[in-house]
Amino acid sequence: MEIFKADVVIVGAGGAGLRAAIAVAEAEPGLTVALVSKVYPMRSHTVAAEGGSAGVAQAHDSFEHHFNDTVSGGDWLCEQDVVEYFVSQCPEEMVQLEHWGCPWSRKPDGHVNVRAFGGMKIERTWFAADKTGFHMLHTLFQTSIKYPSIKRFDEHFCTELIVEDGRAQGVVVIGIASGEFTLIEAGAVVFATGGAGRVFRENTNGGIVTGDGMALAYRHGVPLRDMEFVQYHPTCMPGTGLLFTEACRGEGGFLLNKDGYRYLQDYGLGPAEPVPRNKAMELGPRDRLSQAFWHEQQKGRTIEGPHGSVVHLDLRHLGEQKLRERLPQIYELAEEFLGVDPAKTPIPVRPAVHYTMGGVLVDGRCAAPLPGLYAAGECSSVGIHGANRLGSNSLAELCVFGKVAGIEAARFARSVAPGNAATLRKQAEASEQKARAIVTKSDGSERIATLRKEMAETMERGCGIYRLGDSMQATCDKLDELRQRYKNIGIEDKSSVWNSNWLMAIELGFQLDVAQAMAYSALSRKESRGAHQRLDGFETRDDENYLKHTLAHFDGDGRPRIDYGPVRITKSQPAVRAYGAAGEKAEKEAKHG
Amino acid sequence: MAEKTITIKVLRYNPEQDQAPVFQAYQVPFSDDMSVLQALLFIKDELDETLSFRWSCRMAICGSCGMMINGNPKLSCKTFLRDIYPETVRVEALNHFPIERDLVVVMDDFIDKLERIQPYIIPAAPRSLAQGEYLQTPAQLEKYEQFSSCINCLLCYAACPQYGLNPEFIGPGALALLHRYNADSRDGASAQRMELVAAEEGVFNCTAVGYCSEVCPKHVDPANAVNQNKTTAAGNYFMSFLKPRGTSK
Amino acid sequence: MSKRRPYVRPMAGWWRKNPFFIEYMIHEGTALFVAAYALVLLAGLVCLALGEAAWNGWLGAMKHPLVILFHLVTLAMIAYHSWTWFKIMPKTMPPVVIGGKRLSAAMITGGGLAAVALASLLALGLFWGMTR
Repeated sequence: MEIFKADVVIVGAGGAGLRAAIAVAEAEPGLTVALVSKVYPMRSHTVAAEGGSAGVAQAHDSFEHHFNDTVSGGDWLCEQDVVEYFVSQCPEEMVQLEHWGCPWSRKPDGHVNVRAFGGMKIERTWFAADKTGFHMLHTLFQTSIKYPSIKRFDEHFCTELIVEDGRAQGVVVIGIASGEFTLIEAGAVVFATGGAGRVFRENTNGGIVTGDGMALAYRHGVPLRDMEFVQYHPTCMPGTGLLFTEACRGEGGFLLNKDGYRYLQDYGLGPAEPVPRNKAMELGPRDRLSQAFWHEQQKGRTIEGPHGSVVHLDLRHLGEQKLRERLPQIYELAEEFLGVDPAKTPIPVRPAVHYTMGGVLVDGRCAAPLPGLYAAGECSSVGIHGANRLGSNSLAELCVFGKVAGIEAARFARSVAPGNAATLRKQAEASEQKARAIVTKSDGSERIATLRKEMAETMERGCGIYRLGDSMQATCDKLDELRQRYKNIGIEDKSSVWNSNWLMAIELGFQLDVAQAMAYSALSRKESRGAHQRLDGFETRDDENYLKHTLAHFDGDGRPRIDYGPVRITKSQPAVRAYGAAGEKAEKEAKHG
Repeated sequence: MAEKTITIKVLRYNPEQDQAPVFQAYQVPFSDDMSVLQALLFIKDELDETLSFRWSCRMAICGSCGMMINGNPKLSCKTFLRDIYPETVRVEALNHFPIERDLVVVMDDFIDKLERIQPYIIPAAPRSLAQGEYLQTPAQLEKYEQFSSCINCLLCYAACPQYGLNPEFIGPGALALLHRYNADSRDGASAQRMELVAAEEGVFNCTAVGYCSEVCPKHVDPANAVNQNKTTAAGNYFMSFLKPRGTSK
Repeated sequence: MSKRRPYVRPMAGWWRKNPFFIEYMIHEGTALFVAAYALVLLAGLVCLALGEAAWNGWLGAMKHPLVILFHLVTLAMIAYHSWTWFKIMPKTMPPVVIGGKRLSAAMITGGGLAAVALASLLALGLFWGMTR
């Protein structure tokens, strides 16, 4: 086994991982950063984010507004001190990206432009046409090339977190091209491995979004927090789940049912005005819009398509010129994948799984309870999204908390002495044996594709937009069964070079653990909040019993142990979460009351 | 009625077993909205777990799934079976790159070239974060925006015979990105980058075949970036004679 | 020990494998006719300098059926060369912005071809005028 000695190892080189690497390199140029990615960094799923990234930019906006939108958007399950820090850092991080070359869309006077986004009171979403994630990722990746202290391990797959002496001390990786193992020793480990949306069937996520870091931390005793909160994005392509950005609505798009009616006005989001006002109608938050779709479907007012019920995302009134300028990628996706010209025909859409609000438990400085382990981005739960994330907060999160994780990890790495090389190596070798056993074992009879499909189906059935105790229980039972069957998997590919069969088998192990944490967390939360909505007697929010974070603890072959942690509330007391006219009324009363 | 199927012929190569690549055919159920990538995923899940290929986003932005499809460099996620059916789909690893395994190519060479072009802003006038953003008008943005849309999918390299014949050539994608930084109003390092443009491995390897721009899935038009730089490099060369000695560089 | 053994495919015959490359090679090939025609004109110029006899000899040679055939073939080849050259032209130049709007590739190619047609007509008209 090869050994590489780093000061900080970062697993995942999407937005958060790259930002963390740059933060270390800038703060401590003398430290060696090992940046591990199972793909080339520019393939990371940050690339697929479309609409934009939040940061207060206008004179009539304020950090307080951004804070309030985020906390109420998260149905008060947010760590308010962390949100406060977050909103205060967003603008600077967006400017930093600008200095690094991000091609933000501009106003005629040369200043950066911002657009409206769901659940945001004032326009504060910075955007680069409708390819914001793509441009941010490439900007960060290309900028990272500037720093000689960042040693990249592209196409290296992380199989294990090394914990010794009660602290994280490195990771074990497989070089995908060779199939050979490397132990990367480090004083601190940062996980920036992204979400886990692929545990569901219909999702907007890339094939790589398999919850690797979440599972690795979880297996080492770090709790996964608030995993029941899974975001359904309301406007996705039927069948594939590909994303049509919220910016479609931010630019003025409508959602229509089969009668051509803007149905959101029936769900407390009205009034229906020709240009949706902020925090109303099509600019409501994602959880509410996906739930409204579900109700329309129940009422038989959706349109039947070959891949299930759909509603129409109508962009026709925006005109071809504006669509080509502001939403070029959406235009091409509709044309090429669906054969629909959005300037002439509404786009059929339905909700699909998009984002994992929960993740590895970390504090406001990205530190996990396990010393030496840090996490940032979608894989982490730093506490800003609560029960429902607002669109454009996640890209900003990558930068703000990627930076924090990098700086804190560097500081920690400086403070510790190198571990015992022999014990670390022994652990790494054991981990290699375990991973290789998947390939060498010849008697396995379960196929990974079958297990993966069964997992995705049961997650969709039990942990969808609306949830029932019975079906969640069935999903939990099914996942218990799948985890047992997983022990008996067999794979066909026995080779070393670029054996993706093997990697997908390891990923499936990660996914099953994460899915189980999600399902049990969901089953245990007996209320409705944000993206977790129940129809079995727990239809309302129950602050008395459930204004608290779910913590799922790994328990080997058994079921996760669920307990709860407090929510930090500083200046926003839980209130009725209202949008549209009702929301404006509530806000006025709050001001005068 | 029997389900419609389509034949997918894939160029297979496993370095641990094969001396040279060989085609293998699979029968895959056909539907109107299926992409070639979905067909490959069907093969991997249902027919042959040993097939290796890169993929991720499924929506033509991550740049992973470039391959030769019926002889042309394409993203498999946005090449649809309906446009080929009932013909056979012939899938091979991207041309001009060594095959690591099956449809996976060795792309170290491109990464190396990307690192050499200094793909980051080297500011003309450094600015602190407190000073806020650089001003950049929509017209200034338009000068480079197209070239910043490169997803590094390498289709242009598979389309460039000059790169195939001489892998030293920096090639269309990396040169487009080089031009992207040179054309950015915030950047001040074009003189540095022009040395590479004019070097042995630079733009003059290009013979204006133009196929790179035809196959680009993101309308980057790398041929345009390369050829604009030929003019600039040639201009610089002749101008260097007019400058007094000692001041050039 | 790594089991990697990347396979490098040969480039032989690359230009026959794609219609686009075949067109490119024909385009490059037709450049030879452009050169050949330039040589013919150059020969004429040399003959003119050598005196009336040489000049008349050259004029006579030009009337040979094979030479006329050569000219017809060359005309076709140069026409093809111009057509494919103007097709690639938009890729070789900086963006042309007129009135705040970028000129499309089709406009540039069309403009180039129109210029060729116009120049050819002018030359033809001039020749027509001189020989009448």
